[in-house]
Amino acid sequence: MINRRSLLLASLATPALATRGFAADPIKIGMTQPLTGAVAASGNYVANGAKIATEVLNRAGGVLGRPLELILEDNKSNPREAVASVEKLVLRDRVPVLIGAWSSTFTLAIMPKLIEYKVPMVVETSSASRITTAGNPWVFRIAPTSEMEAIAFSALLSKFTPAMKKVDFLSVNNDFGRGAAEKFSAALAARGIAIGKTETMTPEATDLAAQLTALKQSDGDTVFVTTGVEQMTLALRQAVEQRLGKRIVTTGGSFPDQLLANPLPPGNDSFHILFYAPWFPERAPHPAIARTYTQEWNKKGWEFAGLTEGFRGYDAMLTVVEAIKLAGKPEAEAIRAALWNVKIPGVNGDIAFTKEGPAGQESGQNRPNVSILKLSEGKTSLL
Amino acid sequence: MNTRLRNAAPWLFPLALALVPLVFPDPYLLAVLTSAGIFIIGAISLNLLLGYTGQLSLGHVAFFGLGAYTSALASLGFDIGIGFGLRITLQPQPVWLGFIAAIIVAGGFGWLLGRLAFRVRGAYFVIITICFAQVLRMVALNWIELTQGPMALISIPPFSLWLPGQGVVPLYSKAQNYWLVLGVAVLAFIVVRQLVESRIGRALVALRANESLARSVGIRVTHYLIIAAVVSAGIAGAAGSLFAHYVRIVDPDVFLFIYTVTMVIMVITGGKGTLWGPVVGGLIFGLIPDLLRGRAAPEAQWVLYGVAMILFVMFLPRGIVPALASLKSRA
Amino acid sequence: MDQALQHLVNGTVLGGTYALLGIGLTLIFGVMRVVNFTHGELYAFGAYMTYAFVSLLGVNFFAALALATLCGVALGALIELVLLRSMRKADIDSVMLVMIGASLVLQNGEMWAWGGVAKLVPNPFNGSPLVFGPVSVLPLRLFVLVVSAALLLGFWLMLDRTRAGVAMRATFQDPETAALMGVRIGWVNTATFAIGSGLAAAAGALLGPVFMVSPTMGDLVGLKAFAIVILGGLGSLPGATLGGFALGFVEEYAGGYLSTEYRDAFGFLLIILVLALKPQGLVPAKERIG
Repeated sequence: MINRRSLLLASLATPALATRGFAADPIKIGMTQPLTGAVAASGNYVANGAKIATEVLNRAGGVLGRPLELILEDNKSNPREAVASVEKLVLRDRVPVLIGAWSSTFTLAIMPKLIEYKVPMVVETSSASRITTAGNPWVFRIAPTSEMEAIAFSALLSKFTPAMKKVDFLSVNNDFGRGAAEKFSAALAARGIAIGKTETMTPEATDLAAQLTALKQSDGDTVFVTTGVEQMTLALRQAVEQRLGKRIVTTGGSFPDQLLANPLPPGNDSFHILFYAPWFPERAPHPAIARTYTQEWNKKGWEFAGLTEGFRGYDAMLTVVEAIKLAGKPEAEAIRAALWNVKIPGVNGDIAFTKEGPAGQESGQNRPNVSILKLSEGKTSLL
Repeated sequence: MNTRLRNAAPWLFPLALALVPLVFPDPYLLAVLTSAGIFIIGAISLNLLLGYTGQLSLGHVAFFGLGAYTSALASLGFDIGIGFGLRITLQPQPVWLGFIAAIIVAGGFGWLLGRLAFRVRGAYFVIITICFAQVLRMVALNWIELTQGPMALISIPPFSLWLPGQGVVPLYSKAQNYWLVLGVAVLAFIVVRQLVESRIGRALVALRANESLARSVGIRVTHYLIIAAVVSAGIAGAAGSLFAHYVRIVDPDVFLFIYTVTMVIMVITGGKGTLWGPVVGGLIFGLIPDLLRGRAAPEAQWVLYGVAMILFVMFLPRGIVPALASLKSRA
Repeated sequence: MDQALQHLVNGTVLGGTYALLGIGLTLIFGVMRVVNFTHGELYAFGAYMTYAFVSLLGVNFFAALALATLCGVALGALIELVLLRSMRKADIDSVMLVMIGASLVLQNGEMWAWGGVAKLVPNPFNGSPLVFGPVSVLPLRLFVLVVSAALLLGFWLMLDRTRAGVAMRATFQDPETAALMGVRIGWVNTATFAIGSGLAAAAGALLGPVFMVSPTMGDLVGLKAFAIVILGGLGSLPGATLGGFALGFVEEYAGGYLSTEYRDAFGFLLIILVLALKPQGLVPAKERIG
């Protein structure tokens, strides 16, 4: 009995020891993304972005004269697995820096572990404001908060005709959806727009008829939809079916790409807040970088619309590698300190961190750009 | 082997496990063993219903989740409206109090579900227990004021314990958490052993074998089933509490059916209705995911689980432990 | 009022497919005493097959629906022959465990094969809704309702008029006597499981294009199928039809007027209530076969 057990333990312990043994050549960067489960579509796009950034950077000679190795772990769209994936990356693979974890819920689940293991993480997608205000000095976010997105959006209000007078919200029932409804309400109310009702849906809901019928009763002219890309597609399609008859604006930077091949009938235009519009790389803040990213992606034959989210992984990788370069060594504390000095151009614009949260334990927050894409019968145009 | 050694043998195993952090101080190994341990406690509690009463309870994760939420909420505190302008407020409590509350609340719901579900048998019982866990998940998702819904309860304090010479301290280190889980697992094991070796246990086994016969000789079937359900739920609640303070985040997905399935697989593989079955099954299925991580796609791993479950039920229905025991006695 | 009418239409459309799901599940339980945990996965399988035929092989949409249903029938027959045939004498709990194992294999196999990203199935129907006064409905949904009704009707006729149907009904009522009368129980079981699976796959094939196709689409649907069947009384065919429409209406109205958040919870609460008050379901078992 004892013999068998110690064998089992030995087989468990060996990989960990072995990895520690040859931590010689490549510099490891850990990434946790939802590769399976409810939000797998977006997670895979972001992971792909990081993969091509790794290739591009390695072709340019890596960093500190060493190649880069991206170690990707699946958090299975689940906070418990998010924690497990980080324990594996930090304790077994000994990565000095992390990128993750798509959803705010997963990122929040991981955050205590960052303090415990003293490893910095670049947050590429999560939008909940409490991620950077919780006083976690290991968190550096390149994604915009819902509040930043809302304020940036409200500066573009004049582009809509007829003008918005009253708005309603259809939000997925989590940090992302509820946060967006709250922050957009505040930002739009400040511009004198009336706020109607907020309907919520569970992330796995497919039939949204009840919510849409309820929203139809409102006298608002615009509905803001905040959810993952699959449910966004369902909401847009079912809005036609229920004759919602209102302008739809989606938030969060996802784009319902399947509506390009299967367009909605005429007269059902929708608007999408994006952080990168791959149809127009020349309009990006740094066209050369955007073009490289877009070309590399297309070379792989990946879905074109995935570019709208893949840039997050690409920019996160650029940020992390720049920090390693500035730190001069692949060590967690040095990378954390160096992240504050990062100042590089990315696909979405300039990346640099400003301090947020309680004094003494601030998190880093980047100020990103937004653009509004109009989708009309399967055709896209920038507003 | 002399008798004294044989009596001591069951204690050698936990003792050897207790030495693991000293012999292999690898934090990853301890992290994996600790989370496996928490599910083993869940499997031990499920075994009481599944193995000893023969009731296929497929909503077991409900008690695990209730324990996790109760303990987390007790240690975080809450302030909720209950209608009519009334509010219930709880200041943050010490973690050990949350642990006890988790056992009591989970046990209470075990009683409730027992009263409701033991009126029916077979497929009806199974479906009622599944629905019970689903309803709790919906409540956890939507009672935002209390549970934070899908935003999850975060910043849950780690378990704190009185240690000699140090007073009450939070357990941050991997080894401390490992020993805590091991300790609770041993306690759960002893509780279940005492119960099944008591008069209650004999009554349960009698009714598993032949319920109408047991009823006819005057065994109060429902009464005993409910006792088993309460104890089982209470232990699952304790496991949930450990989970909450170890992972330090609780979200409505703790109520997912797949976690019940994981516990069921552990019990079935190890051997239902045996004391060591859930421990053996739990070690196997608690460690496999991390051994396979990075080597096989996660889907492949679940396909493997499914296949294992089918093969065990079809070809080794009594599980590994009884099979090994019969091999040994034949030799 | 307008809203109430729209909810009525939505609930009917939803209820039709729920009934289809419930009938398959209750038929399998009634004849074989098997609680089919793979039902939701067969639903997802039907949807994926439709996607595969339409989008990858370029098959005509209507032909793809039929082919996907046939694939479901074949998969059902396979499951019965490989797993259930040897377990005919096993207790109901062991069979349930095997079926849970099978559902894990099917679901994760689907995820492995297709990836986690949801798919949209193109369909030939016009995307604009038909409008009748205050009520609107997509032509595709109407088509789904009509086909569901036709399948239900066809299924009843099959039970009532064909030899296979008679053998099924006989087994349903009393397997021992049926065996003595010369019914080959083994083949009745295979046929039953195949047909039940085919109905689930048909529901998936029909609803896949309405919503989206994803590997986890069977999860909630599988649980709802249980709700439907329990509502109607396990093993009762009229009960399953009734239960399907009841759940469709409850979800739609409760979702529209009470709370959209708890929409999916109403079904499960309803089951617990029904089981607590009337454990045999709405339609008692005696009248369980047509």
